[in-house]
Amino acid sequence: MSAKNQKKAASSAAQGIHIERLFKRFTAGQRWEHLILFLSVAVLVLTGLPQKYRAAEWSQQILATPERLGMVQGFHYLAAIVLILEVAFHVGRALWLLSRRRLPGDMLPTGQDVRDAGQMVLYLLFLRKTKPAFGKFNFEQKFTYWFIVFNIGIMLVSGLIIWFPEFFTRFLPGSIIPAAKLAHSTEAIVGVVFVVIFHFYHVHIERLNLSIFTGRLSENEMRAYHAKEHERLTGEKSGDAPTGGSQ
Amino acid sequence: MTKPDISWLWPALILGGAITLLICLSPAAPARADTVSRQETEKYCLSCHGNDPQLSRTLPSGETLPLYLSPDTLAQSIHSHAGIECEACHTGITTYPHPEVAAQTRREFSRDLYLACQKCHPGNYEKTLDSVHATVAGEGNLNAPVCTDCHGAHDVRPPNEPRAHISETCGQCHNAIVEAYKESVHGAALLGDDNPDVPVCTDCHGVHNIQDPRTAQFRVQTPELCAGCHADQQLMDKYGLPANVYDIYQLSWHGVDVAVYKSRWPTIWHDSAVCTDCHGVHDIRKTSDPASHVNPANLLATCHTCHPAAGSNWTAAWTGHNEVSLKRTPFVFYTQAFYASFAPVVLWASILYVVLQIIRATVDRIRRNLP
Repeated sequence: MSAKNQKKAASSAAQGIHIERLFKRFTAGQRWEHLILFLSVAVLVLTGLPQKYRAAEWSQQILATPERLGMVQGFHYLAAIVLILEVAFHVGRALWLLSRRRLPGDMLPTGQDVRDAGQMVLYLLFLRKTKPAFGKFNFEQKFTYWFIVFNIGIMLVSGLIIWFPEFFTRFLPGSIIPAAKLAHSTEAIVGVVFVVIFHFYHVHIERLNLSIFTGRLSENEMRAYHAKEHERLTGEKSGDAPTGGSQ
Repeated sequence: MTKPDISWLWPALILGGAITLLICLSPAAPARADTVSRQETEKYCLSCHGNDPQLSRTLPSGETLPLYLSPDTLAQSIHSHAGIECEACHTGITTYPHPEVAAQTRREFSRDLYLACQKCHPGNYEKTLDSVHATVAGEGNLNAPVCTDCHGAHDVRPPNEPRAHISETCGQCHNAIVEAYKESVHGAALLGDDNPDVPVCTDCHGVHNIQDPRTAQFRVQTPELCAGCHADQQLMDKYGLPANVYDIYQLSWHGVDVAVYKSRWPTIWHDSAVCTDCHGVHDIRKTSDPASHVNPANLLATCHTCHPAAGSNWTAAWTGHNEVSLKRTPFVFYTQAFYASFAPVVLWASILYVVLQIIRATVDRIRRNLP
C-alpha cells in the first residue's frame, strides 16, 4: 500500500482506528492448487534445466554421477506426476462445475479484454491518462492463466511422449518423438521466461500481491486494480481510484 | 692415315675418375663395405643353417625347434639388405659352438629373442608394453603376439606393402573378424581397389599400443574415431557422403549422452548408441546394402537391440544424421519453425510490456510527488 493510500485511510478514520474491508478473491482450493502448481513446476524446472543443458559445465557439476542423473530424473518424474494430478483435478473440477452450470466464467476471455488491452497500450504509450478499470480478473491475469494452460498442455503431452516413446509410436508416427523432445525443451524455456518476466513483475514488482496465498484483497487494492469488481460488489462508484499509479 | 685426335679424351678420363672417386668416398661407401662383411656373416651362419632343411633340435618341452633358414627367406628381409647382421638379433651367439638354448618351449624361445627388437626400435617396443597384447601376456597368455609374430623374423618387410597386408597380418589370429571386415564397405574397397582412404585394422585400433576395444573408454571415443574420416569434408565429398553426420550426432539424444560420459565418466559403461552400435563394427556396409544393419529393411531390428518394445513406427523417430528438413522430418521442421518465432516473440513482448509499465509507473509516481 502506498504512502498516499495510507494517508488517505488515516485521515478518513477520524478516531485513528482504521477498519479495512477485505474482499475474498480465491477459495482455499484455488490457493492449494496454486501452491501445488508452483512447487511442482519449480521442481520440474530445477531438475529439467540441468538435463536440457547436459553438455554445459554447470550442468555436469550438478549431474556429477550417473546416479545423480538418475536421481534428478526421478524427481522430475515425481513432480510430473504431481503436476498431472493437479491438472486432472483442475480440469475435472471445471468439468464437474460446468455440468452443474456453476462454472464461473470470469476467467474466460471477452471482447472487453481486447478493448482493455488496447486502452492499456495507449496508457503505456502516454496516449491515455489512466489505466482502464478492470473486473475481477484483468486481461493480463487472464492472459497469464491461458498462456500457462497451453504451456502446461504442451509440456505434459510432449513430456509423456518422450517418457514413453515406445508406447506412443505404436499408434503415432515416429517423428513425433524428436518433435516432442524439441517442443518440451523449448516450451519449458518459453514458460519460464514468461512467468519470470511477466507474472513475477505483476505480482512482485508492480505491487506485492499475495492474494493467491491469503485469498483476500484489501479494499484499496480492489479500488486500484479491480475497480469494476469493487463497484459490482459494493455498489460504490470508485472513480477516484488511483488507477494511474502502479502502486 | 692420320693418327686420331684423342686430346679431348683426357679431360673426360679425369672427370670420370673424379666421379668414381666421389662415389667411392660418398656416405654410401661404408654401407657397401658393410654389405660385404654382412654377407660374410650371413654366409658363415648359412653354411650350417642354410644347408640342411632337417636341421633342428628338440627342446625340453618335446617340441622340435627347426634350425634351418632358407636363404630365399632371408633374401626378403629388409634387415638383411640394410646390412643388419645375424648376431644383431641372435644376441647370445657370437661364434660356434653356440651356448645352450635356455628356453623350454618354442614360444619361450620366440619371446626371449624378440626382446632384441628394442635395441633398434625402442619407441615402438615401449608402445607394445602399453598394448592389450602385453596385458594378456602379463596375465599368462604367452600366445599374445610379440614383434616377430606380426612382422616376421627372418623376412621382415615393410608391413604395409600392399596396405591389405596389414589386415592379413591381424587375420592370422583374428580371422573371423578379418573375414567380416573383408565383406564390409571398407574391406571390400581395400581388397578390391587397393583404396588408400579406407581404414585397415591399425587405423582404428592403433599400431603398437593397441587398446582393448571392449572397454568403456574405447566405446565413448568411437564417434571421434569415425569422425576422423567421416567429418572430413574433402574426403567425404570424394564418395558423395555427408560430412556433417558427426556434428548432428553430437546434438542428438545419443550423442549428448555419450559426450557427457566421455567427459565425466569415461570408465563407466553406458549403452547410449555410438556409431558402431547401429552401423556394425567390422561389418559396416553401405546403407543401401540389404545386409547393412541400418538398411531400412533391417533398421527396426537394429533399434530393437536397445529399444525392444519399439513398434513399426519407431524407425521414423530416428531423424538420421540429416539436418531438419520439411521433406524428411516435417514434424520436427514445423516444431522448430514454430518455436523459432514463438520463443523470441514471447521473450521480447514480455520484456517490452514490462519495461513500458515500469516507465509509465515511474513517470506517474514522479508526477504525483510533484507539488
